[in-house]
Parts: sequence; C-alpha cells; structure tokens
Amino acid sequence: MINIKKTLFWQFLNLLEYELKEFLITLGNIGKDFARVIKSMLALKLDKGALVQQCSRFSIDSLPITLTIVAMTSIIIAMQIAPELAKQGAGNYVGSLSALVMVRELSAIMSGFAIISMIGSSYASEIASMAVTEQISAMKVLRVDPVEYLIVPRFLSGIIMMPFVVVISTFCGLVCAAVISNLTAEITYLNFITSMWHGLFIKDIFVALLKSSFFGGTIAIISCSCGYSTRGGALEVGTSTTRAVVWSFVAIAIWDYIFASIFYL
Amino acid sequence: MGIEVRNLTKEFNDKKVLNNISFKVEDGETLGVVGFSGSGKSTLLKIICGLLYPNSGEIITTPNNADIAMTFQYSALFDFLTVFENIAFPLIERKEFRNKYTQKELKEIVAQKLKIVGLQGIENKYPSELSGGMQKRVGFARAIVTNPKIILYDEPTAGLDPVSSTLIENYIVELKKELNASCLVVTHQLSTIKRATDKAIMLYEGEIVFKGSTQELLKGSNPYTQQFVTASIKGPMQIKSL
Ligand SMILES: Nc1ncnc2c1ncn2[C@@H]1O[C@H](COP(=O)(O)OP(=O)(O)O)[C@@H](O)[C@H]1O
Ligand SMILES: [Mg+2]
Repeated sequence: MINIKKTLFWQFLNLLEYELKEFLITLGNIGKDFARVIKSMLALKLDKGALVQQCSRFSIDSLPITLTIVAMTSIIIAMQIAPELAKQGAGNYVGSLSALVMVRELSAIMSGFAIISMIGSSYASEIASMAVTEQISAMKVLRVDPVEYLIVPRFLSGIIMMPFVVVISTFCGLVCAAVISNLTAEITYLNFITSMWHGLFIKDIFVALLKSSFFGGTIAIISCSCGYSTRGGALEVGTSTTRAVVWSFVAIAIWDYIFASIFYL
Repeated sequence: MGIEVRNLTKEFNDKKVLNNISFKVEDGETLGVVGFSGSGKSTLLKIICGLLYPNSGEIITTPNNADIAMTFQYSALFDFLTVFENIAFPLIERKEFRNKYTQKELKEIVAQKLKIVGLQGIENKYPSELSGGMQKRVGFARAIVTNPKIILYDEPTAGLDPVSSTLIENYIVELKKELNASCLVVTHQLSTIKRATDKAIMLYEGEIVFKGSTQELLKGSNPYTQQFVTASIKGPMQIKSL
C-alpha cells in the first residue's frame, strides 16, 4: 500500500491549498482597504499636508529612475527601428512609430514598473514596519484613523501624480528617440516631429493619461494594503514588500490589457 | 467611577486567553495586572482600548466612550516624526482637535507634558536618537497629551535598569494624580507593583486567581501570589512554555 500522504500529488494539493488561501486573503485585504479608502474619501476626510508630501515623493523622488528607464527604452527602440525603416525608405515613419509605441504602451508600463520598484516597495515596507512595531495600533488608540492618515494620501498621490510622471517621461523619451534617429539614420528633427504628429491622435494621449492614473492608484492601494495587513516581524515585512511588488506588476499588466482591449480593439 | 470590566472572555483560535474576567477601577486608582508571559495581560489592555474585540463581556467607562490612553511595551513612537510631532500628533490629527491649537500653543503643551516626564529640549530629536527609557517617557507624554481619564500601561518598566524603573514608577503615580485618572499597569516587576499600584489582580490560564490590595498581593497568603512574589518553581502555577 502506498501512503497517499507521502505522494507528490498530496504535497501538490497542500501547496495549492496554501497558495489559494494566501491569494484570496491578499485579494480580500486589498478590496477591503480600497473600500475603506473610498469611504473616507467620500466623507471628505483629507489630510492636505500629508497629500502634498506624498505627491512630491511620488513624482519628484521617483523621477530620476522613471526618466532613466523610459528614456533607455525609447533609445533602444529608436536604435532598432530607425536604421531598419530608413533602409526600407520609410524614414518618414520613424517618428510616428516611436510616438505610437511610447505613448500607447511603453511609457506608461515602464513608468509603472519604475514606480513600483521605487515607490510601491517603500510604501509597503514602511507601512508594514509600522504595523509590526504597533505604530498603527498606537495611532488607533490615539483615535486617528490610519487609513485616512496613511493610505488615503498615498492613494490620491498615485492617482494624481502618475499622469504627470508619464507625460514627463514620455516627452523625455521621445526627445531621446529623435536624437538617436538623427544620429543612427540621419532622420531630421523636423521630419521626426512632423511624422510624430501624423501618427498620434488626441485619443492616444487621453487614454495614456487615464491609464497612468489607474496604474498609479492601483500601485498605491496594493502596496499600502499589503503593508497594512502585515503581522509578525522583520521576516513578514520582507514578505509583504515582495507581495506588494509582485501583485502590482501583475495588476498593471492586467490593466494594460484591459485598456488595450477597450480602446484599441 | 472610572472603568469596569464585566465577564470578559476572549478566544484566539478556540483557545480561551481570557475567561470571564471582571473588575473595577475607580477614579484616581491604579490597578496592577500581573501574571506569566502569555497569560493574556496585553490582550486584556488591547480589548479595553478597543484594538481587539472580546468574544463576550463588556467594558464600561465613565464618562461613556471616554478617552483611553495606552502606552505600549515597545513605546510604538512614530519613527518618521520628531518627538514634538509625536507628542502633538493627536492634537494635530484627531478630528475633534484639528486646527484648534496654534503652533505656539502646541509648543507650550508639548513642553509642559515633556516636563512632567522629566525631559526637556528634545523636541527636535527623532525616536531613534533616544534611549529606551527616554522613548518610554516620550510615549507617556504622547499618551497623556489629551488629558485622558483612563491610562493603560503595558509593561512600562520592562527592560529598564532599577533606577530608571523607579523613575518611571514615580511618573505613573504623578500622572495619575495630575489627571485624577484610572490606571491599569501590566507588569512582572514587584517594584512596580509596590510603588505604582493601589490594588492588583493576578491572571493565570485566563482566570483571575487573585484580586485584592497591593499589600495583600505582596504579603498575603494566597498560594498563587506567594509563588509569584517568592519566584518559586513549586506552587499552583506551572509554566507550560518558556
Ligand atoms: N493576535 C493573536 N492571535 C492569536 N493568538 C494571540 C494573539 N495575540 C495574543 N495571542 C495569544 O494569546 C496569549 C496571550 O497573549 P498576551 O496577551 O500577549 O500575553 P501577555 O501580555 O500576558 O504576555 C498568548 O498565548 C498569545 O500567543
Ligand atoms: Mg504582553
């Protein structure tokens, strides 16, 4: 007789049980915290000082990394397509292709990745360490609502500042693309800009802004919620931070898919 | 009358941590709560200040819904704020106080509270720059900044040297007089019981095994308190897990 509890299949079931539970708990926590944030926003409970502070952190502190990542992406794409297109006699399309790729997709998603690693991870770890050192309990005893004080300003700063971050990084990325196209394929700046305006529509810009706002809010709420529900010690702070980063990555990838299918299918 | 706890029961995962606990603390009175680690002392305080819900039983405070202050075992100061911002925190952030005080008034209040706990001129330091005992005292100042009528102390003297402990014990007595508050002091330390409390209860396996005056706890014939006071291994209480 084989002992069923010693088989690989049994272990797999155990793993499935554990992972599924963790998954649903995390999803539940994020949903619950989102509802609380919306509730206190509807009650117009807002700490303006905290909001300004978080906004400046979200945008200015993250900008160097975001700009670097988006600019590098843009440079690499221009390097790949500009000489190819020029060779085929389609140099006039380099500007519009770069703009389309950047504005519709890459700026937002790359900025999102940069923001997750810069801002999301620090939101999660700072709130998690506050939770495990009883600072959040202390806040409750002092009758200050931690959701209102900690999460609402971070969530709002994500919604408000992410579009700015994306606009600035897109601009910077396209400037880099123009320079690279000029250097590698001798496409003039005028040509690049004209082509760019032919390729882009107002809709693209509108969708990009809306999408960035969704990305920013999603990253903030997931990171804060993963931090907020942390119990235990240093180990759990690490686990929560990892969870926040992974969940944010997956969530914005899903958003991106949803936006693409709603607006471009 | 300050605070009354009636028939409190709390379970964690089917394990009864508190079983039918009842006691009263009057205004201007300090109750010591003693018991082994894991006997549910912190849980009791957390239920009283609303951080945890009991499975059954009630907490009655006078006035109803009174402001309850709690100091935490590891201070729980906000490490991203200065000492000044920590102490002024409830006055700045709590809804009922928002915009009630000017910056100058806040400075005065904070300085006055710091003086009560024997600290001065450390407003601009961060908690990480202070010693453990100073952090505890800043925690006290933050807890009493709204002049609460009920103060809960979770192991206020744990991990401090004997002289600092005495200092803290004196502040507990002083704060109580200053605010005419009802206090609960959770502690393992006999010196803290002796100096800072008027009466005491002892918890063991979720039940109250002693209730009486501090004198009775220290000198009486209750087998539980005798074992506790003489720190004996033999007696009615067994340590199940260290
Ligand atoms: N959130 C919790 N979940 C599950 N068990 C808990 C929780 N908090 C405390 N306990 C358990 O309750 C018991 C009492 O804990 P606690 O009140 O912290 O004891 P004390 O402060 O007297 O040392 C311990 O056995 C502890 O493991
Ligand atoms: Mg404890």
